[in-house]
Amino acid sequence: MATLDQKSPNVLLQSLCCRITGKSEAEVAHQFQYAVRVIGSNYAPTIERDEFLVSEKIKKELLKQRREADAALFSELHRKLQTQSVLKHRWSVLYLLLSLSEDPRKPSGRVGNYGALFAQALPRDAHSTPFYCTRPQSLALGYGERSAGLSASVGTSGISSLGVYTLNGPTATPQSLLSGQPPQSAAAQPLGARLAWALPVSCSSSSALAPLATRPLLGPPVPSSRVVRPRKDGEVSEAALVRDILYVFQGIDGKFIKMSAQDNCYKIDSKVVLCKSLRDTCSRLAELGWLHNKVRKYTDARSLDRAFGLVGQSFCAALHQELKEYYRLLSVLHSQLQVEDEHGVMVCTESSLTLRRLLVWMYDPKIRLKTLAALVDFCQGRKGGELASAVHSYGKTGDPQMRALVQHILSLVSNPILNFLYRWIYDGELEDTYHEFFVASDPNVKTDRLWHDKYSLRKSMIPTFITMEQASKVLLIGKSINFLHQVCQDRTPLGKITPASNSADTPRDTAELLSDLEGAFQEKIDAAYFDTSKYLLDVLNRNYLLLEHLQAMRRYLLLGQGDFIRHLMDLLKPELVRPATTLYQHNLTGILETAVRATNAQYDNAEILKRLDVRLLEVSPGDTGWDVFSLDYHVDGPIATVFTRECMGHYLRVFNFLWRAKRMEYTLTDIWKGQMCNAKLLKTMPELSGVLHQCHILASEMVHFIHQMQYYITFEVLECSWDELWNRVQQAQDLDHIIAAHDLFLDSVISRCLLDNSSRNLLNQLRAIFDQIIEFQSAQDSLYRSALEELTLRLQFGEKKQQKETEGQWGVTAEQEAEEKKRIQEFQETIPKMRSQLRILTHFYQNIVQQFLVLLMTSTDESLRFLSFRLDFNEHYKAREPRLRASLGTNRGRRQSNI
Amino acid sequence: MASAASANLNAVRETMDVLLEISRLLNTGLDMESLSICVRLCEQGINPEALSAVIKELRKASETLKASENSTN
Repeated sequence: MATLDQKSPNVLLQSLCCRITGKSEAEVAHQFQYAVRVIGSNYAPTIERDEFLVSEKIKKELLKQRREADAALFSELHRKLQTQSVLKHRWSVLYLLLSLSEDPRKPSGRVGNYGALFAQALPRDAHSTPFYCTRPQSLALGYGERSAGLSASVGTSGISSLGVYTLNGPTATPQSLLSGQPPQSAAAQPLGARLAWALPVSCSSSSALAPLATRPLLGPPVPSSRVVRPRKDGEVSEAALVRDILYVFQGIDGKFIKMSAQDNCYKIDSKVVLCKSLRDTCSRLAELGWLHNKVRKYTDARSLDRAFGLVGQSFCAALHQELKEYYRLLSVLHSQLQVEDEHGVMVCTESSLTLRRLLVWMYDPKIRLKTLAALVDFCQGRKGGELASAVHSYGKTGDPQMRALVQHILSLVSNPILNFLYRWIYDGELEDTYHEFFVASDPNVKTDRLWHDKYSLRKSMIPTFITMEQASKVLLIGKSINFLHQVCQDRTPLGKITPASNSADTPRDTAELLSDLEGAFQEKIDAAYFDTSKYLLDVLNRNYLLLEHLQAMRRYLLLGQGDFIRHLMDLLKPELVRPATTLYQHNLTGILETAVRATNAQYDNAEILKRLDVRLLEVSPGDTGWDVFSLDYHVDGPIATVFTRECMGHYLRVFNFLWRAKRMEYTLTDIWKGQMCNAKLLKTMPELSGVLHQCHILASEMVHFIHQMQYYITFEVLECSWDELWNRVQQAQDLDHIIAAHDLFLDSVISRCLLDNSSRNLLNQLRAIFDQIIEFQSAQDSLYRSALEELTLRLQFGEKKQQKETEGQWGVTAEQEAEEKKRIQEFQETIPKMRSQLRILTHFYQNIVQQFLVLLMTSTDESLRFLSFRLDFNEHYKAREPRLRASLGTNRGRRQSNI
Repeated sequence: MASAASANLNAVRETMDVLLEISRLLNTGLDMESLSICVRLCEQGINPEALSAVIKELRKASETLKASENSTN
């Protein structure tokens, strides 16, 4: 007995078994097997291998039992033991003794039932683990291996052996140990919390069970207050509360814990006698029920509401999924409760469900439910893309657990949206019955306004994870496809437009796509955008000659084709001088065709010439043909999308302005021609020279003005704007770019041709100048007419005189001569009238020009200011107009100072 | 050699006495022989937690066996 010889542990164990049970070796075979298994599976010690700690515990234990003398004795003995060097594992022996110690004052009669259970469970264990029976000699001592073996056996035996394991646990007598081991339980707590954390995340019920099964290994169970505390009368047992709480978790009122309508929370019946801590724990747990109700109410209310839309439905489905996980956990807890019921009270004392345990295990589900409830609150009244935005905004949390949860929900929620999106960008179809997608379609819009008005973005429905830019691109892609189909009548199979569509049609994992919004998603949209837009532009250019039409606009409506316009004016002049009411469209159309055929315009595309037409504006009384004539260009079909009615109205206005300016040029040419032709003839009438000089001066003033105006319009306005337009059209990636560039072109032409509202004053002055030119033309015409009439009369008089002289008669009679003189007198008397009329004209004209110049000088447009310099290049007007002098002077002064 | 062995034996005996005393103090219910077996097991590195569990179970088992024998008798 006293020799510490190295017998094998199995032999020792066997003799121990015999010794304790007092039976022979054969009789204790079962017990021996069991002992070998327990030792073999050797739970990793949950305590520090510290002799000092153990001895302190023993002292504490003795002190607790009010045996101070024994404690002193123990420390004496311990000291003695330390002086001996025989034992290598003193802590181990001491610990063993401590574990086996019993309070002598406590009755030790609580063993009976355990034994029955033990005997019951033993054969089953022997079967499930035959491993240890066959190899009794090899006791594995490596901790890792042992614990692995243990967990494996737990996994296979499952819940049926649960009760046994809790019995076999190292802490079979928790009451005696617990009080002495505060640090141990504190260390075990976080471990348990971590397992509970993992509990709801894992989906399968078997893995959800695992933490329950392994729980006894984590250390002593959380102290259960109902065992320690003496019970008062009428107090509710904790087990009943746990049962209640499990119902409350599902939103069902329990026996004691009921929904309080006025406070909107679960409350323990105030009549129930209960200590405060339990009451607190209960109400903390009951929050789960409240959260569950909230989520449940939302899904119940919405899942039948079809108008809630697909996105909403998938949100509800996601919530359902989460609730299902939650229910699974609850069912596990319920089954645990069931097992406890079957095994009776005994099991409850060690591993039962307690409120505290629930508090730990339900911690994570509570956080999840809280997030869901918050989500539900936030999503109230939202649907479609808005809902997805709301969910997405909740994903921006630092907590990885919550982020994963929200991401999961988001991927479900945004799935329908992405489906919409793919249908839209690859097929151009909008199957959005509940208006959830961010592209809206207006069914009332006809095809001619399809591009502009039919589709629009629903700003509120754009999910926040899709940028505005992406959204507008998406809109554009689908719009282009629809435009191709409905307006261009293009029936190319879609696969040809976007080769990427095939790969994208396969339902991809939405979450994956969402996580990579910057990369793959953007790429996909960009590719679809690029392909579709390019195809659309190709179709428009190839089949519908968009660019040719653009050029035709410039050539015909903006008078770019000079020879044609000139010839047309020549041909139209006799028609247009007539009153507007006598004009007939068919005559003018005929003239137009003649003009086309006679000029380079004939080489133009027939498609374009076909569209060229004459249009007569509304006639107001007193209008001549000049005022109402206008060229027109018919646009229809796809190109009408670029050349909208509005645009054509602008073109018409610009054309009228340009046409008027052109007419002035034309008129002045006529004036100049008259002057040149008549100058020689009228040399014989010296009395006219003054008047004619005045005419020449005024005419050249006007010619200068109109030349500069024409220069400005042609080069500064039309050509510059056109160049910009052409560059932009060449670089355009989609139809919207072309439309925008074209609108910009028209706007700039309108504003710089002084046709917009801000330069109305300028335009009025210009109109007045034009009127003066017309007036001057008629004045000069009448002047020439009377002068030429006078001239012919004089010539006739001279001829007659000569003829008579050759006939040998008196050239003139006195009477005739007097008559002649009287006529000449009369004519000469009209000359001052003419002069004054011309002077008035000049005066008016110069006044208007000066005002025009003043307006030009104050204009903000630089090119207009430059125009004023050109018009007044020799400072002729500046000398006359003090206002002009001031403004010009300051301007020039500033420029000089700048230089 | 012999004296060393006897000194060792003395030390062992003394140790065992001390341990028995502690065991008695703590009311473990182990007799000398069981204690010595336990000490030897512990010295071989057996986890004392597991060992104590085994001992308790063995006691319970023998108790039940006795009880059942009594009742059958």
